[in-house]
Amino acid sequence: MNIAVCIKQVPDTPSIRMDRERMTIIRDGVESVINPLDYVALQAALDLRDRKGGEVVVITMGPPQSEEALREAIAAGADRAILVTGAAFSGADTLATSHVLAVAISKLDPFPDLVLCGAHTTDSDTAHVGPQMAEELNLPQICGVNEIHMEEDYLTVKRLSDGFVETLQVSLPALLTVTQELCSVGHLPLGDLQIAFSEREITQWGPEDLGLKEEEVGLRGSATQVWKLSVPPPRREGDLISGSPQTLVDHLIRKLEDLSILDEEDGYKS
Amino acid sequence: MDTSHDLEGVWVFGDYRNYFQNRVTLQLIAKARDLADKLDTRVIALALGDKVHQWAMEYVAHGADIVLAAEHPDLKSYQVETYCSVVAPWVEAFQPQVFLAGATSFGREFFPRLAKRLHTGLSADCVALEIDPETGLLLQTTPGFGGELLAEIVTPDHRPQMATVHPGVFQERPHDPGAVGRILYPDVDVVPETRVKLIRSKRQQTRQAKLEEAQVVIAGGRGLGSKENFERLYELAELLEGEVGATRPVIGSGWTDKERLLGQTGKTVKPRLLISIGASGAVQYTTGILGSENIVAINRDPQAPIFNMADLGLVGDANTLLPLLIEALRKRV
Ligand SMILES: Cc1cc2nc3c(=O)[nH]c(=O)nc-3n(C[C@H](O)[C@H](O)[C@H](O)COP(=O)(O)OP(=O)(O)OC[C@H]3O[C@@H](n4cnc5c(N)ncnc54)[C@H](O)[C@@H]3O)c2cc1C
Ligand SMILES: Nc1ncnc2c1ncn2[C@@H]1O[C@H](COP(=O)(O)O)[C@@H](O)[C@H]1O
Repeated sequence: MNIAVCIKQVPDTPSIRMDRERMTIIRDGVESVINPLDYVALQAALDLRDRKGGEVVVITMGPPQSEEALREAIAAGADRAILVTGAAFSGADTLATSHVLAVAISKLDPFPDLVLCGAHTTDSDTAHVGPQMAEELNLPQICGVNEIHMEEDYLTVKRLSDGFVETLQVSLPALLTVTQELCSVGHLPLGDLQIAFSEREITQWGPEDLGLKEEEVGLRGSATQVWKLSVPPPRREGDLISGSPQTLVDHLIRKLEDLSILDEEDGYKS
Repeated sequence: MDTSHDLEGVWVFGDYRNYFQNRVTLQLIAKARDLADKLDTRVIALALGDKVHQWAMEYVAHGADIVLAAEHPDLKSYQVETYCSVVAPWVEAFQPQVFLAGATSFGREFFPRLAKRLHTGLSADCVALEIDPETGLLLQTTPGFGGELLAEIVTPDHRPQMATVHPGVFQERPHDPGAVGRILYPDVDVVPETRVKLIRSKRQQTRQAKLEEAQVVIAGGRGLGSKENFERLYELAELLEGEVGATRPVIGSGWTDKERLLGQTGKTVKPRLLISIGASGAVQYTTGILGSENIVAINRDPQAPIFNMADLGLVGDANTLLPLLIEALRKRV
């Protein structure tokens, strides 16, 4: 069973700074990690490979430094890694991102039996890229999977969808996106870091290698644009009280009385 | 049959699977009404399934001008590919300007695939929608870039302008049994997805917290420091006849169950009073509580962003205040 895992490098911080001129995230000086759910996908892929054979290919589209994420995946046990990179790819929305990644995946030889993604990323958090690749690659998709069982030549998976626990069967090849619940197994074995950082080659593909034209990738290949960025407005300027604990509690009780959640004076709640 | 011109307005995907928990389709019809009035066009709701007449009627009663309905045995269960096979040709034939769906599990897996097939833009999990008065473009506000900022997204050249919308952001209109609308059954060509088979579907067993309906919500964050401290919130909630909610780190630490998560990836609440305790006020959390009529925040850091949206902010240590508060309330009730 050959598996491709799409991983994205994301900033390891809740507070992200923006380049307001270019409307892009400033990534310099911010530690980066593999998107947590992509790590779960990787772990599931390695587990399936170890039981069924085949290879795990990790693939990312991003700036040159996303190579670190691929190295980390190799250290964890991935067999091959592909870095899709080029200035033309930057500023892509999900339509353009999924296009580039789908073209890269269709170039894989052999074509994977299974493509795994995280259900969503922590930075852009659209949950679009998985299903949009499935569409372009004409694969069946199941999103938000939390259990995978390999049967003869198909998978049985479980997921939670709008309050229903669903059990589904899907033929291969297929694309799945995975959630945190999939991975109660613990941590990844770290593998041979030495190999990861010295010997393994990382394949690099740019627009020409993938036969992509400038107008179909990056900002130009995107259908959406960021119009404006704003800091969420303060909703209202209320009173800010400091003081002794008793003073604070008194203020809160008065508020409850004002809202008639508590009856006034020291009476009883009706 | 109508001319396609009649159908080019603001479309809403009818998602009725989890109807009693999730009224997002009705909320979207109300918002679409508002957008359509600004664009001088119509609201068109879709209803797909094996039997959809009652839903079509419901959508008219809540403000849809036209319902596009499709009935077919293969549409009985929600299936992304099968639904795309019906909806994509409709969009190509009737050319809506705007197309909205609720950010339900299904909406969030169906719309990306559909948008890709139609080669148009899609924004995820919006918390506001407006029409730009100058360009007539749909401004799609989504908490982005880690949530420190809100991003307004536009789809300048591709149509339709598609968005999924967070449940609970908009208010549905009251059911109007006298509302007039048309229900159309255009030709459909259903191509069932045979590669995916639904083997079993069971309603999830949950002790459904009545969080969304509560008049008082006590929301706790990581600042409470431990499970024991967090559990004081249940006492407080009981005294105020409220329900307990939590931020994501609280769920992550296992202090309470996932059903209580508030925010972008959790529930949206609109109580009369929300007391936020030991939460910093990240936008992914505050989108879930913004609709509260009154917000009281307790945090020991006077700079905490939560104070920007609090009607009353108390700067202090939650774990000192809570026992005092609970004691004071016990004396009264
Ligand atoms: C894509 C994405 C989606 C997300 N979705 C959600 C979501 O749906 N819901 C959600 O909640 N979060 C969500 N998050 C996480 C969110 O960004 C914040 O990290 C989270 O809301 C912070 O939770 P918190 O306020 O409890 O913790 P912290 O940010 O750690 O804040 C703790 C606060 O407690 C205060 N404090 C500490 N000790 C005390 C004390 N003794 N007394 C009083 N105050 C004290 C501190 O001053 C601080 O302000 C999401 C994040 C991402 C990236
Ligand atoms: N630039 C990228 N490179 C590789 N995989 C990606 C990239 N962006 C998104 N993905 C994959 O798509 C999933 C969903 O991402 P998103 O649509 O951004 O929430 C991620 O968890 C990854 O598996």
